Amino acid sequence: MTASFDAIVIGAGANGLVAAHYLAGAGKRVVVVEQRPAADRSADIGWVPPRVIRDLGLSQLRLEQPDPWLTVPLDGGNTLELSRDMGRSVEAIRRISPPDAAKWPEFSRRMHTLAGVLDKLYLAPPPDIETRDPRELARIGGLGLYVRRLGKQAVIDLARILPMAIAELLDDWFESDVLKGALGALGIWHLKQGPRSGGTAFNFLHHHVGSPAGVFRPVRSNVTQALEEMKRVEVRRGNRATVLAKNGRATGVVLEKSGEMILAPLVVSSASPRGTLDPVAIELDPEFARAVRNIKGRGVVARGTLTLDRAPPPSYANFCIAPSLDYLERAYDDAKYGRDSAAPYVEVQRFDGNRLELHVQYVPPGTHEGLTERVAQVLKVRPDQLQLQAAEESLYHGELTLDQILFMRPVPGWSRYRTPIAGLFLCGSGTHPGGGIPGAAGRNAAREIL
Amino acid sequence: MKTYDAIIIGGGHNGLVTAAYLARAGKSVLVLERRPRVGGAAVTEEFFPGFKFSMFSYVVSLLRPEIIRDLDLPRHGLHILPLESTVTPMENGNYLAAWADHDETRRELYRHSPRDAEAYDEYGRLMHFMAQAVKPILSMVPPDPTSFAPSDLVALLKLGKHFRDLGAERLHALVKLMTMSSADLLDEWFETDVLKATKSASGIIGTFLGPRSPGTAYVLLHHYMGELDGVFRAWGFAKGGTGAVSEAIASAARSFGAEIRCDAGVAKVIVKGGKATGVVLENGDELRANIVVSSLDPRRTFLQLLDSSDLPSEFVSDIKRFKFRGSSGKVNIALAGLPQFTCMPDGAGGRLHRGAVSISPSLEYVERAYDDAKYGEFSRRPYMDIVFPSMIDPGMAPPGKHVMSIFVQYAPYNLNGGWTDAKREAFGDAVVNTVESFAPGFKAKILHRQVITPLDIERITGLSEGNIFAGELALHQLFFLRPAPGWAKFATPVRNFWQCGSGTHPGGGIMGASGRLAALRILKDGR
Repeated sequence: MTASFDAIVIGAGANGLVAAHYLAGAGKRVVVVEQRPAADRSADIGWVPPRVIRDLGLSQLRLEQPDPWLTVPLDGGNTLELSRDMGRSVEAIRRISPPDAAKWPEFSRRMHTLAGVLDKLYLAPPPDIETRDPRELARIGGLGLYVRRLGKQAVIDLARILPMAIAELLDDWFESDVLKGALGALGIWHLKQGPRSGGTAFNFLHHHVGSPAGVFRPVRSNVTQALEEMKRVEVRRGNRATVLAKNGRATGVVLEKSGEMILAPLVVSSASPRGTLDPVAIELDPEFARAVRNIKGRGVVARGTLTLDRAPPPSYANFCIAPSLDYLERAYDDAKYGRDSAAPYVEVQRFDGNRLELHVQYVPPGTHEGLTERVAQVLKVRPDQLQLQAAEESLYHGELTLDQILFMRPVPGWSRYRTPIAGLFLCGSGTHPGGGIPGAAGRNAAREIL
Repeated sequence: MKTYDAIIIGGGHNGLVTAAYLARAGKSVLVLERRPRVGGAAVTEEFFPGFKFSMFSYVVSLLRPEIIRDLDLPRHGLHILPLESTVTPMENGNYLAAWADHDETRRELYRHSPRDAEAYDEYGRLMHFMAQAVKPILSMVPPDPTSFAPSDLVALLKLGKHFRDLGAERLHALVKLMTMSSADLLDEWFETDVLKATKSASGIIGTFLGPRSPGTAYVLLHHYMGELDGVFRAWGFAKGGTGAVSEAIASAARSFGAEIRCDAGVAKVIVKGGKATGVVLENGDELRANIVVSSLDPRRTFLQLLDSSDLPSEFVSDIKRFKFRGSSGKVNIALAGLPQFTCMPDGAGGRLHRGAVSISPSLEYVERAYDDAKYGEFSRRPYMDIVFPSMIDPGMAPPGKHVMSIFVQYAPYNLNGGWTDAKREAFGDAVVNTVESFAPGFKAKILHRQVITPLDIERITGLSEGNIFAGELALHQLFFLRPAPGWAKFATPVRNFWQCGSGTHPGGGIMGASGRLAALRILKDGR
């Protein structure tokens, strides 16, 4: 049986659905095919660009902006609580380090300025550095001017900080291990790198985009759920879709279980670039195929849930265990040699009654023997309260390292959501601007297609 | 009292290059060196009777060809002998060799992996090309991207055009080289672990990074930029040790009329009304000059020779933030005979000892060596680059005996508990025992050993924290950020006070590019 549409979107995550909605809004008949049988009820983590919310009329969108945004346990049973209010954060930090408290507002301001530059880059396709098109040149010139107008300090910061290790950046500013560990953790999110690796300062800023100054954890939302509930596009679940291509053109997808073919001249995939392109590799130029194979997307994160006997106090919503930069670095050392961290970085990313959603890093592919016990030990809970799910591949479909961003993402020279196969587009977090900004890649891709 | 046109502080190779260029342009120049001999970290010393050692830096390749030409260094005694091969012994008794003969290297690689043998040529071509693409940048004064001065804007545009003209593919390759770890980059090309380990080792030299740390791919390229007699990527020894390089440059400088004074440490630069007017020596003597040029590293140049009240406070904090973190040591050994390596008992007819021996048996080995250093210990089993200079230049040791130079990484400057005599010996033992494990019987041939820690490098040469590059070659400390944003053009916030050491662009290795660029800049400035 075959059915025919104008466009097929692979994947019903935030980016897939956003792309589908934009395409549907332009009058295309769209179907979304999703591998997972049921909608994922865990939160979308990351800033949803306001343009997406406006364009798609996402009235059902709920943003969670917990306050305090991070709670860090201290020796002796106290906690460090970092609040959305700058003054309260300064007060809290003063209790562990007066010099760090004094630097907090300036640090927050400088980082916010830099994240603002990334923000400008993220809501459009990456600058095309080879272009001779006057409009694109004007856009690049405009970006350059924008940065220069931010002042000398911002230009220097941008050049200096992006390639730095988050540990070096934080060591420049702060003395408290607790504060540096808690902030440094954001720099390693979804990376197989430790805080002493270059480029982690960029990853830190990437995840700061869209947050207010002084808040270094992204918002959570129900954007995927909200999009799906709008029921503007058809979503078919429970079947893995593989791209079909012939003579260099996408023709549709085939569903794995049923063998059903869906035909359409346009296929837009929010799945990983490698997963999307591998089955049609025969249609690709060998150089391009090699570049796709070389995408670094090493899974290091386990997501999980912790079920407590009763609901915890609200500050648990952002409980972070990353007591120092050395702790994170040692956790990474294990992963470097292919083992799960003996003492992993664990953060509660949301809670819902007595059910807590967890981020555990580093968990490279492997057997994960004893992982649950170790996480339980770190959290001081019983192993049977935990359920962990390790990701074999990076949830971002490509790590956000400096060699894999902007015009290098997903592969060098193919950053405009296109592929060498006509009619096949990518729109997932493997494309610019990458994971942690739900909907941005989907919107950019849809606009590029239209 | 005589007023010199220029006083150069420090008689290392960069200071001497600056002096030679200024003297060649007719300036009256005085070089002041604290130690009894010129050379800084490029010195040859006979600390054990009959045996001569290149104390610190030991191979030459990066020395800019235009300097050799401009200063006519061969006439002043510079003679470079090629170092042709590299052998890496493996833990399982096998080895990987790179020989002078390209086809032989290919056959050797083929023995390990036919696929890698195929990829090797393409990789070599790419690196060659990338090095050519980056080279013009080494010979340019970095423009200031925060400035609106027409000269800076023009230079920035030119730079932008240079990169665009590379074409998309090469530009992408350059971005990768600038940002990736050497291990990740090599993973894209090769499958043979020992090959990746040996190649990545050149990416970690002088850094406080491991082969899996981003930023090391660039250092890999930096070491590909060597050029000897127009032959790309050839390393060599200077006849008479690296001290002979310094002596040749010093001789060239003298021939142009420069005066060089040793045992003349500078205590302070005299600043009057925001202008440098001369220097005070450690013995209290005062010397006057129209300009003063420091070849010392940025920390000593600005925080020791000047009072912080002479400098803007923001600049002082930038310099304080400039990272050194010395990570390497050196062990120099006088030998009764050559050690025999298990992997190649016959030494390939002497070829093994005429080249380098790299102790980098696997990526994990090198990465673990880094892990030790990361937490403040010296590597229990370090990465080592070993050469036997007496095999190429017999004058370095008595007949039948040999000198052995071991470059060792990692030995962190900030060792847990600090460096002591006992720790130094323990470090030396770790080095010797590791060599022994690849070459049994080696220890019995040792007549004398000299162990140099980063602290020793700092004490003897003055290089802060013993960093051999006078400041880490990290992406955020390069180009217009070296040594501090806004002050990468060799000028300093103090008028008539200039900088010309490896801590300025482009820095690193016995290259002399910083010294030359500084001199050209000073001359252009019309003084």
